[in-house]
Amino acid sequence: MNEDLVLQIKDLVVHYETEDADVHAVNGIDIEIAKKRTLGLVGETGAGKTTTALSILNLVPNPPGVIKQGEIWLDGENVLEMKPHELEHMRGNDVAMIFQDPMTALNPVMTVGDQIGESIMLHQGLDKKAAFEKAKEMLKMVGIAESRAYDYPHQFSGGMKQRVVIAIALACNPKLLIADEPTTALDVTIQAQVLELMKQLIREKEMSMLLITHDLGVVAEVCEDVAVVYAGRIVEKGTADDVFNHMRHPYTEGLFDSLPNLKQRGEELVPIQGLMPDPSDLPPGCAFAPRCPYATEACTKAVPALQSVEGSATHFVACTAYADPDFKLRRNRDGK
Amino acid sequence: MATETKATTKVKSRTLFQETWRRLIKNRGAIVGMVFLILLIAVAVLSPVLFDYETDIIGQNMAEALQPPNAAHWFGTDEYGRDLFARVLYGARYSLIIGVGAVMLGLIVGTILGSAAGFKGGITDSIIMRGIDIFYSIPNIMTAVVIVSLLGTSTVNLMIALAFSCASSFARIVRASVMTIRDQEYVESSYAMGLPTWKIIVKHILPNCLSPIIVQITLLIGTTIISASSLSFLGIGVPAPAPEWGALLSAGRGHIRDASYMCVIPGLAIMFTVLALNLLGDGLRDALDPKLKK
Repeated sequence: MNEDLVLQIKDLVVHYETEDADVHAVNGIDIEIAKKRTLGLVGETGAGKTTTALSILNLVPNPPGVIKQGEIWLDGENVLEMKPHELEHMRGNDVAMIFQDPMTALNPVMTVGDQIGESIMLHQGLDKKAAFEKAKEMLKMVGIAESRAYDYPHQFSGGMKQRVVIAIALACNPKLLIADEPTTALDVTIQAQVLELMKQLIREKEMSMLLITHDLGVVAEVCEDVAVVYAGRIVEKGTADDVFNHMRHPYTEGLFDSLPNLKQRGEELVPIQGLMPDPSDLPPGCAFAPRCPYATEACTKAVPALQSVEGSATHFVACTAYADPDFKLRRNRDGK
Repeated sequence: MATETKATTKVKSRTLFQETWRRLIKNRGAIVGMVFLILLIAVAVLSPVLFDYETDIIGQNMAEALQPPNAAHWFGTDEYGRDLFARVLYGARYSLIIGVGAVMLGLIVGTILGSAAGFKGGITDSIIMRGIDIFYSIPNIMTAVVIVSLLGTSTVNLMIALAFSCASSFARIVRASVMTIRDQEYVESSYAMGLPTWKIIVKHILPNCLSPIIVQITLLIGTTIISASSLSFLGIGVPAPAPEWGALLSAGRGHIRDASYMCVIPGLAIMFTVLALNLLGDGLRDALDPKLKK
């Protein structure tokens, strides 16, 4: 594998096998994250973003989750072949995760200092006292007074709790930080603060980050690379510039069309027609075809492969329509 | 950001324990129960100093047999002339030791079984819990009788016998709590942090199940004291001549017409102790979970 990659996921397939149905949550995702880069994984609820993230830590709840195939290379080691003690060593030390809801991500009966110190004690072999001191430093780093290390989570506001969660995640200087919708549960002003803090810390500590979100604004603010997920497959990926300014996939276009435009406030939003397909009953061929305004019969025949966009080394798209060299998205037709 | 941190340094830090204590002392019943129990514990601890077991507790003095309560013998004397006051006070030791001992034993076993069942789920859960259900369907006293007759009558065996029923109720409570805590996000995040499973159970899950367990401890000690007394009353508890309350009741049974105080006084001792434990237990439940209070 490539030396500069912190994370490389190859053809990951994860199913949730319940008695009622076989849910195809992730259907062959490929992701690479290079050192010091931030990748945004964008998609609707249920697109398989969180499952992908949990797979990286090999934490997909089993049963019912089963990792069917694929490889997850983390700094030269395949996560899916790690032994339990190697996994425990990797989790928190090499890869840390920030969860969605800071309100429930902290243990209510432990002081925040102890909770930050716990991971330090575990991975850096410090004693309780030294770990607590380090925890205080971490608190200071995320902008919380050191004296509050003795307080319990219920004495913190939501934004501060998320700062504590970030402090826990960064306590052992992981190489990769997975942030699963870290700002969804926060209000907009706090969101901005938390994102700014994360950006700054990641730069300081030279970490890579996988940011999972459905908020394109957050992606634009934080990420260098973007991957758009639909029904457990990546439909488009590239640098932020590629995806935001030169989008190729109809689904990406649909996402942007459904955002309000600040410059033309009177304009009506254009939603994507229909609903996301039931992951236990995906349509044949391209999963987006039933909702796609450009769909042709060819779309329902085969699942389109992720192919490099002409003239770009970074930009990939999975869409059958580009078999026709003259095909252009509506957005790209005029002016480009 | 600077202003935020400055303002927050003034926040008064209260641990959950302090918070619970503050709410508990507002509850009058709980205070009464607690004071009574503290006195009882003091009596139990001090009684060997106050009385000499050989002369005051089991030493017979037929000349003073069956005296009703009077200035010299506040609770009267029994058929062998032993001072009932000394015997009842001394008896607190047995009731408390058996009650607390059996409950603690049951707590340890029940917590292990309950957390295994609740955490693992699936087949482990079914096997453990169905076993406990079967156990639960047999009356407590009967189980205890069987165990005591197998092991022989002694204080320790009585404790073991009573611990069985405690264990099954703890297992149920712990299992239910563990099942709700298990799926909390902070448990998931401890996995993501790389904590081994046993540490997650001990440090993150069990401490969050503590409130119902504490309440159950106080209530079960009361029930266990009654069961212990019943077994002694039946003659398979603490062997005579030790002044266990149930044994005192049993001894008074023959004199219930002429010397009813011999039954009434140990009976009241049991009743007040259990009442105090229940008052405290109710108070603790309200204090630990204020949402439950109407």
